[in-house]
Amino acid sequence: MKLLSLIVKNVGRNLLRSALTALGTMVLVLVVTLVWSVLHLIDLVTEEKSHDVKAFISERWSVPSRLPYSYASSLCEGAARADHPEDIHPTDAMAWQFYGGTLDPKNPSMKSMVFCIACDPRKVPTMMSGLEGLSATEDAELHRSVERLLAKRDGIILGRNHLLALSQKSKDGKQSMLEDPLGRKFSLSGFSNFKGLDFDFEICGVFPPGRYDTLAVINRDYYNAALDAYPPSHAGVPHPMADRSLSLVVIKVDDMQAYNRVAEQITTSLRFQNPQVKCETESSGVGSFLDAYRDLLWIMRVPLTLACLGTLALVLANAISISVRERRTEMAVLKVLGFRPGQIMFLVIGESVLLGLLAGFTGAGLTYMTINWGFHGLSFPMGFFPVFMIPINALWWGVAVGTGAALAGSLVPALSASRVKPAEVFSKVA
Amino acid sequence: MQGELIVSELVRLALTDPRSLWVLLGLAVGMVLLLLAVNRIPLSYTLRNLSLRWRTTLMTSLAFTLVVGLMVVMLAFTTGMQRMTDGSGQPGNVIVLAEGSIDEAFSNLNVEDLGEIENLPGVRRDEAGQRLASRESYLIVKQPVPHPKPGRSDSRFLQVRGITDAAIAAKVHNIQLKSGSWFSAAGVEDRSGVDSKAAPAIQAVLGEGVAGELAADRTPEEAAAGKNPHRLDVGDRFRLGEKDWVVTGILKSSGATCNSEIWANRAKVGPVFGRENVTTLVLSTADADAAVQLRDFLKNNYAKANILPQVEKEYYAGLSETNQQFLFAIIVITTIMSIGGIFGVMNTMFAAISNRIKDIGVLRILGYARWQILVSFLLESLVIALLGGLLGCALGSLANGLTVNSVVGQGGGGKFVVLELVVDANIWTAGIFVTLLMGGLGGLVPALSAVRLKPLEALR
Repeated sequence: MKLLSLIVKNVGRNLLRSALTALGTMVLVLVVTLVWSVLHLIDLVTEEKSHDVKAFISERWSVPSRLPYSYASSLCEGAARADHPEDIHPTDAMAWQFYGGTLDPKNPSMKSMVFCIACDPRKVPTMMSGLEGLSATEDAELHRSVERLLAKRDGIILGRNHLLALSQKSKDGKQSMLEDPLGRKFSLSGFSNFKGLDFDFEICGVFPPGRYDTLAVINRDYYNAALDAYPPSHAGVPHPMADRSLSLVVIKVDDMQAYNRVAEQITTSLRFQNPQVKCETESSGVGSFLDAYRDLLWIMRVPLTLACLGTLALVLANAISISVRERRTEMAVLKVLGFRPGQIMFLVIGESVLLGLLAGFTGAGLTYMTINWGFHGLSFPMGFFPVFMIPINALWWGVAVGTGAALAGSLVPALSASRVKPAEVFSKVA
Repeated sequence: MQGELIVSELVRLALTDPRSLWVLLGLAVGMVLLLLAVNRIPLSYTLRNLSLRWRTTLMTSLAFTLVVGLMVVMLAFTTGMQRMTDGSGQPGNVIVLAEGSIDEAFSNLNVEDLGEIENLPGVRRDEAGQRLASRESYLIVKQPVPHPKPGRSDSRFLQVRGITDAAIAAKVHNIQLKSGSWFSAAGVEDRSGVDSKAAPAIQAVLGEGVAGELAADRTPEEAAAGKNPHRLDVGDRFRLGEKDWVVTGILKSSGATCNSEIWANRAKVGPVFGRENVTTLVLSTADADAAVQLRDFLKNNYAKANILPQVEKEYYAGLSETNQQFLFAIIVITTIMSIGGIFGVMNTMFAAISNRIKDIGVLRILGYARWQILVSFLLESLVIALLGGLLGCALGSLANGLTVNSVVGQGGGGKFVVLELVVDANIWTAGIFVTLLMGGLGGLVPALSAVRLKPLEALR
C-alpha cells in the first residue's frame, strides 16, 4: 500500500510533465482506437460463424448479380426438392431486388441517388446484418417502421444520409424534415438500368445510424407491380430489368453442415442454369469483396498500428527517463532507507503504468463518445461500409494499449533506476 | 461535413498544386534560416546539450521518425492513386455511357444508337478511313482462387473488357503491347491441325497488374515452367468462367487503370458471362478541345439517345473521389499523431529547460536578451525534429515503387487496381514541412517559459 501511495504521489509531483504525457497518450490511443474499430468490424463480418450461418446466393460469374425473379421462391427454400425429404430447408430467407433512383432526374449524380432494396419488409429485422444489438428503443422503432411499410405499399424506410439529402431539398425547412420525417412524400426517377421505373414514396421509417445510412428499403410488391405495369404503357415491351430483377437471396441455416448441404442442393440443381448461381457464406462473400483492400488493411493492421504504439511507447519512455534522471538522488535515498531494487523498479513502472492506464482509458472513452454520439460513426471509404462505429470493447483496448506501451517504455528507465548506486550519487552531491 | 470539404480541398490543392506546398515549406525554411541568422548563442552550445542528453534526444527524434515515416508511406499511396487516375484516359477521347450510369459496370447502351454516334463529324478516322470508335463491354467477374493463401479469400473480382476490334481499340486508347500480339479477329486460339475435342481457349491480352495477380495461382511447377516467374506471359493459360483462356499479349499499362484489366474479343466474352450488352463507347477526336466540343454536342444537342458523354480524362479524374477521402483520413491521422509528437517534444524541452535553469541565468547575466534565449531553445527543438523527420522521410521513401491493391471509383462502382506507391519531391516537402511545424510548435511553449525566468532567481 505504501508503494502504491508513493506511486500516486509521484505522478502528481510534476503535474506539467504528467499532463503532457497523458495528453500525448490519449491522442495516440485515439488513433489506435479508430484504426482498430475499422479492423474489428471487418474481422467480425469476415469471421466464419459456426451456427446461425447466413449465406448469399447470387449470379455465379458477373457482378452486379441479375437473376430472374422466378428463381426467388426456389432459392429461398434452398432448392430443396419436394420429393426429397432429406433436403434441408433454410431456417429463414430473404430475396433482394435492387433499385436505383435519383431525386433529381434532370441532373442525376451520386449525391441525388437513392439506392433501394426491394424486399419482404418482415425480413428486415431478422435477416439484414448490422441490425443486431440495437437498443430497445431503436429495435422497437425499427419494428414499427416495418409494420408501417407492410401496411403502406408505397412506403420507404430511409437511411440517415438520404433523409439529410431530402431535407436539403425540402421546402418546409431542413429541421422539420429531420425531426418529423414520417409521412413525408417524395419521388424517385429510375436511372441507368432502372430508367423508366419511377416511384412516389412515403417515408415510414428511418434506419438507426450506422450501416444502412446510405441505403433504403421498399416493399417488393410495389416494385414488382411497377415492373408488371411497364409493358402496357410501353407498347408491350417489358422493362429490361423485368427478367433480371433478382439481385441476391440471403438464407440462414443452423450450422456449417447445413450450409454445405444447402449449397450443394443449389449448385447441383438444374433449375438455375441460365444464368448460373453460386452460394457462399456471408463472411466469404464480404471477404472476397474486401480482398481488393487487403493491402490497405495490412497497412492499417501492421505499419500504422506499430507506428502508433511505437510513438506512444517513446513518448512514455521519454517522460519516465527524464523523471528517473531528475530523481537519482531520491532513488539513492530510497535505497539507503531499505527499499530493494525490485521495489524501486516497481515504483517507476507503476508510475508509468498508472499514467498509461488512466490516459488510455480516458482517450478511448472520449473517442467512443465523440465518434459514436457526436459524429454517429467514423466515415471511412471502404466499399459498402458507410460508417464504422466504435465498439464498447474500445475502452479495454485503450487500457491495454496505454498500459502495454507504458510497461514497454518504462522497463529500461526502471532498470536504470533500480541500479542507482547511493555512494556514487552522494559523492556527486557532496 | 463543411470542415471536411474545406480541409480536403486545401490538402488537394497542396498536393495537386505543388506550388502551395513549396510555398509553405519555403516559409518554414525561411523562418528557420531567420532564426539561425539572428541566433547569438553559439549553435555549438545547442548541439552539445543535445549530445549530452543523447538518449532523450534520440527517443524524441525517433517519435518524429515514426510519425513522418508513416505519413510519407500513406501519402505515397494517395500519390500513386492520383498518378494512376491522371495517367488513365486520353485527352482527345470521349467516353459514352448510358444515361445515369455511375460506372461502366452499370451502363447498358442501346446498340442501335451507336452507329450514328460513331459517325458524327468530330470522331477521328485512321489512315484506312475507319472511324476511331471502340465499342466495349466492361464486366466485373468473380473467379475462384485455386490455391488461396492463408487468410486470403477463396475468390477474387477481375475486370474483363470485351473489345469489338482490337486494332481500333489500341488506336483509340493509344495503348501498345509490352510483349506478344493482339488477339485475333476470331478471338479464340487457332486449333486447326490440333487433334483435340477440347474447346479452343479464348485469347486475351492482360494488363501487367492482373498478369501478376493471376500468376499467384500457379503451382510452383507451373511457375517454374512459365516464361516469367512473376506474372503470366505470352502463351500462358488461365481458367475463368469455366473456360480456358490463353495470353497473347501483355499491355504496356503501368500507371493506368487498364493495368488491372483483361481484354478479349467482345463476341467471346459476352456469352461466357451472360452479359452481351455494350456498356461503353469510346470516341477518339483530334485533341482535347475537340473532345470537349463533341462532349458538349452529345450532352446538349443530341437527343436521339439517352447517353452520358464525358471527356475521358474527366471521367478518370472523377474516379479519384475515393482518393480524396483517403487523403482526408491520412491528414486526420497524421495531425493526431503529430499532436502526440508535439507533446513528446514539449516534455523533452521542458525537462531540458528545468535542468538548465542555471545556464539560462548565466546567459542572461552575460547579456543575452530574452528573445535570443527563445531563439536558441526553438532551434534546439527544431534540430531534434529535423533529425527525426529527415530519417522518417528517408525510411518512408523505401516504399517508393512497391505495388499495392486497391479500389478507385465512386460509391457503388469502382475499379480494382494495382498501383505503385510513389514518393516524390512533393511528399518530401510535406514531410519536412510537418517536421518543422511539429518541432516549432512543440518547442515554442517551453521556450517562452524559459525566457520568463529571472536571472537571479535562476541562479539561486
